[in-house]
Amino acid sequence: MQRLEIWRTTTFRLTLVYGLAFAIGVVAVLGLTYASTAVFMTRQMNQIVVGQARGLQGVPPRALAETFRQLEEQDVRHVYYFGLFRRDGAWIAGNVHRLPPGTPQDGLPRPLREPGFQPGARALAERLPSGEILFVGFDAKVLSGLRAIILSALLLSGALVIVLGLAVGAALSLAPLRRIRAMQQASQPILDGELSARLPTSNKGDEIDLLAGIANGMMDEVERLLWAVKSVGDNVAHDLRTPLTRLRALLYRVREETGPSAAHADMIDQALSETDALLTRFKALQRISEIDRRERRAGFASVRLQALVEQIGELYAPLAEQHGQRLLVEAEDACEILADRDLLFEAFSNLMSNAVKFTPAGGVVRLKLTRRTEGPRLEVIDTGPGVPEAEREAVLERFYRGREAGRAPGCGLGLSIVAAVARLHNFRLELGDAAPGLRVTLDCWAPAMGR
Amino acid sequence: MTRILAIEDDEITAREIVAEFTRRGYEVECVADGREGLVRAVSGEFEAVTLDRMLPNVDGLTIVSVMRKAGIDIPVLMISALTDVDERIRGLRAGGDDYMTKPFASEEMSARLEVLLRRARAQPRETMLRVQDLELDLVTREARRGGREIALLPTEFKLLEYLMRNAGEVLTRTMIFEAIWGYHFDPGTNLIDVHLSGLRRKVDAPGLTPLIRTIRGSGYALSATA
Repeated sequence: MQRLEIWRTTTFRLTLVYGLAFAIGVVAVLGLTYASTAVFMTRQMNQIVVGQARGLQGVPPRALAETFRQLEEQDVRHVYYFGLFRRDGAWIAGNVHRLPPGTPQDGLPRPLREPGFQPGARALAERLPSGEILFVGFDAKVLSGLRAIILSALLLSGALVIVLGLAVGAALSLAPLRRIRAMQQASQPILDGELSARLPTSNKGDEIDLLAGIANGMMDEVERLLWAVKSVGDNVAHDLRTPLTRLRALLYRVREETGPSAAHADMIDQALSETDALLTRFKALQRISEIDRRERRAGFASVRLQALVEQIGELYAPLAEQHGQRLLVEAEDACEILADRDLLFEAFSNLMSNAVKFTPAGGVVRLKLTRRTEGPRLEVIDTGPGVPEAEREAVLERFYRGREAGRAPGCGLGLSIVAAVARLHNFRLELGDAAPGLRVTLDCWAPAMGR
Repeated sequence: MTRILAIEDDEITAREIVAEFTRRGYEVECVADGREGLVRAVSGEFEAVTLDRMLPNVDGLTIVSVMRKAGIDIPVLMISALTDVDERIRGLRAGGDDYMTKPFASEEMSARLEVLLRRARAQPRETMLRVQDLELDLVTREARRGGREIALLPTEFKLLEYLMRNAGEVLTRTMIFEAIWGYHFDPGTNLIDVHLSGLRRKVDAPGLTPLIRTIRGSGYALSATA
């Protein structure tokens, strides 16, 4: 059965989706904060740059170098940049030694994208009335700091969201997961055919309980219907057998009293054999439900399969010979198993009967008992037409006869009896391809309970 | 004349039992009540009993176990609607000699009872079985027909022994399967027939009078007399 993993649960996925939405929200808030702060700060810096430039405009160009020096001395944060350049761009004074190329000299602040400056630095250049170019820049390194803060906040909150989301998701999923697993476990017997089993419900009345309730309700109905169908089948088989037996008794008496030379003796014989065929079918049907009804393990005893298989081989040898088939019996001394000896014999007998029936003259029927670590394995392998893969399930059902069985005598109940015996013992019955022919495998050990 | 007691409360089944045994030349007395049945069964007037499992007042199991305790060892054929294997075992353990489930074919019932009767009358500890010119030595496990030895496989030996012990009786395929292989299910007609025809090839060699007869619709019998 497929095992439900925690990350597949709805709760876990929902928690993850919530976490993701939360992360997107955090990113949006931080991004918005960053953007509006950046706009605000840019405006501030523009004003600073413009104000500084205005103050310097009033200083005579010859005194500018001195003013620059004084200003630099006061500027302990190293945020102000000045430069005085000749008309051709040659440096005269200031801590900026190169006029960034292509700077319009219109006195409007612009972003300063020069190596050595942080992003967000602003600068302006303007032509002094004397013809020199004044350059004023401001780089507060605030924006990049802000960006770093926001980025680390994003990383941290992202990591937090992920870890917390996973943890909370797992924690929240655990309880429902446990319940789902309990249900899965409870449903295994149902899948194995024990229709009286039900799914567990809690008193929470939540959606899981609701679904379990619905499933249990459906199981009730399935069980009821199945019992109805079964008992109808059983009753029909039982009720029809009695009048049929009486009919047969009458026919038999007529034949006994008129003698074999009577006018219609042949027809009476035919009627008798038809009645017998019908009776056989009903008997087999009843037999199946009898086996199915039997208390599990009641009447089980230690069985040595080797002897049983050899006995089966001996029982079927003359029949195989009559059909012109070679019967090969290979029986290893397998370990003793706990089983119903009579039912196993009946099952093996049915398998052999089928194999002999469907194998053409000159073919080979193999009856094989092998010892495996889990227990004894019985195989009946023939060289007949086999059963197409699509029909292998169906031939185990009552009355189903494969297409190949068309002309062969029989009622299509033999394999159903085998299946019923396998069910009773919890043995695995499998039909496979022996290329050519059919290989029926009966693993005579009960698989470990619960998976 | 052999007298048989039928303890059976189902009227139709009782009528069938009476008709079948009467036709075969037995005298049958039929009782429907358990208590009355028990009284008649221990009376010593009968050679065999057919016994329903479920009866009013006293049930079949009690009747047979009381009979056995009273030292009455006439053959008891139990007939029951209870098909379960456990029921069969319970019936046989209580002292029944054979167990049949309803519905049944009447000739199967009479054949079974006749085999039981024969077994009850048989000389114990026979070591040599003889039917006409056929001999079976149970000690040396040798078979001879007209002095000539017949080689038999173990199953064939068992089969021939069963036929010879019940020479002259009709043995149904089910009875043969139960007696030789010891299982109680329907193995299909053909399976038993093929064993019988194998034995027949050895016993009834060409030129000899056939001893193994096929009874149409019922089973087999070994001719007791020429």
